[in-house]
Amino acid sequence: MEILVEEKEGYHTVTPVGELDIYTVPLFRKVILKVEGDLKKGVILDLSQMSFVDSSGIGALIETYQKITSKNGEIVFILDNPRIMKIFKLVKLDRVFKIFPNLGQALQSIGVSRGYIDEEFFSDIT
Amino acid sequence: MREYKISLDLPCSKKSLLRARWRTLEFARKHGFEKEADDITLAAEEALKNVIQHACPPDNKMHLEMVAKGDVMVVEVSDAGHGFNLEAYECKPHSPYDLCGRGIQIMRGLMDRVSIVSDTDGTVVRMEKKKRVEREDIREQSGG
Repeated sequence: MEILVEEKEGYHTVTPVGELDIYTVPLFRKVILKVEGDLKKGVILDLSQMSFVDSSGIGALIETYQKITSKNGEIVFILDNPRIMKIFKLVKLDRVFKIFPNLGQALQSIGVSRGYIDEEFFSDIT
Repeated sequence: MREYKISLDLPCSKKSLLRARWRTLEFARKHGFEKEADDITLAAEEALKNVIQHACPPDNKMHLEMVAKGDVMVVEVSDAGHGFNLEAYECKPHSPYDLCGRGIQIMRGLMDRVSIVSDTDGTVVRMEKKKRVEREDIREQSGG
């Protein structure tokens, strides 16, 4: 698994690419620990490139949510994979997490789209 | 009706989970459970993960058996560990914020039927998944 991290306008965008499971959770935790230490306004957890999640991965996402919110940071999720959304619904995370189908809507929800919209990094806004 | 079966004895290690994942996916797809393969695989993996994390069997082994017969696939995960108190687990209300304890919740949500028998001699998790019949399949079968 690869984890991409970018920071703009006080928001860290964390994008796990591949499987978030019992094997890859330790790496994910390490990355989140670093992001948490560097936390400004909040975190955008982009799960659009995550292909698989198990209960360990779910636990790590909840842990991240708790860490960020306990520091008064904002955290939003991007998820458009129906397979993973099904797992989220099973464990009722869809009721807890703020989930958006794309980056554009996630940015709009945190009220920073204006600052991002012309950036090359966010050129895939739909 | 023909029955297809596969049995695997796996050491209790994370490595076994990956092996089990691919074998389950392969078996399910090969025997006509393409649409259900992802659900079955994750459920099997969660059951095996519970053995690794909680059962601690003295022989350090876990057993995975899969049977496909007609439109039903059965997955059985067993171990000779110390078992656990299922009643206490099932009675506990689960909050979405809980950091663990989601394995059984996921298994029950993904499979059509899940039975768990656990005592001091070990645990057997038996899960069934029925083949999903889509409307298009029904139309094809009826020649419509």
